[in-house]
Amino acid sequence: MKEAKSGSFREGVRDAVPIMLGYVPIGIAYAIIARQGGMSTVETVLMSLLVYAGASQIMAAGMLAQGAAAPVIVLATFLLNLRHLIMSLCVNNRLRGASLGGRMLGSGLVTDESFAVFTTAAPEKCNIRYYLGMALGAYGAWAASSLVGSFVTDLLPAILSASLGIALYAMFIALLLPHLHGNARLGLLVLLTALCNWGLGKLMAASWALIVSTLLCAFLGLFFVDLGEEARDA
Amino acid sequence: MLDSKVLLLILGMTLVTYVPRAIPAIWLERLRFGPRVEKYLNLIPYTAMAALIFPGVLSVDAGRPWVGLVGAAAAAIPAFFRKPALLCVLAAVAAEFAVYSFL
Repeated sequence: MKEAKSGSFREGVRDAVPIMLGYVPIGIAYAIIARQGGMSTVETVLMSLLVYAGASQIMAAGMLAQGAAAPVIVLATFLLNLRHLIMSLCVNNRLRGASLGGRMLGSGLVTDESFAVFTTAAPEKCNIRYYLGMALGAYGAWAASSLVGSFVTDLLPAILSASLGIALYAMFIALLLPHLHGNARLGLLVLLTALCNWGLGKLMAASWALIVSTLLCAFLGLFFVDLGEEARDA
Repeated sequence: MLDSKVLLLILGMTLVTYVPRAIPAIWLERLRFGPRVEKYLNLIPYTAMAALIFPGVLSVDAGRPWVGLVGAAAAAIPAFFRKPALLCVLAAVAAEFAVYSFL
């Protein structure tokens, strides 16, 4: 493979490969659930192209099959995806200077995963070309896998599909751990957030626990974590 | 092919997923943050990822939390030595494949 220029669109696409590995089995699973629930192939793929939110789509397909009313599904989707407001804020803060059109397109492609890759990327990758390469790569994999899953239900052997379930968690770990090297206080904050999220998850819906623990613990981090050279554009 | 009720549902979901994502793109143009807010925004990726990993990773295999922990450990070792993300992902998937093959 030819070495991609640092911060280029191509390098972005290449950095999306770990996301793609995680999206393919979920996209296929979503399409199977949607088709079994009575959605047509066009509807199944259209939802992936327009909504582009894995957990919400799977939830919607399931609720639709059970005869839930559309406004209820829309409200649940809104609550489940509110976290993307915060993530998009962080992404856009690193895209200052890019055109409004580019940022409007890019913002629509914010997911847990594209946010995680972009906000931990090296400073020379903090540009719209790299971001769009990475985010469109992930988006393409999501759309393609839901198309494939609408037709072929047994493409991936069950054991491989189950094994790929760890892929996105593994990617988050791979993005997070190198930044904790030599920064014990940041490590402590990460540990604290994980425990906070776990505890709050017993008191409220998981989607709320994630938002509250992310915002609250980042605030606590202000008082004892030094980001040092990790801090950019500060 | 395209049921009007399902189409309306898809459009409604599109609206509520796109608007929160797009708000910062419009909003940020006029906003300049001080160093404190800047630091807060730089901390969020770490706390968000911590929350995305735990405790979700325990439910990779329903009822068997250790399966997720094995995969997480397999990713953590190369990640600690700053290996590329793809390699960490493949290591974790291979570990899970071994778990499902032999256990």
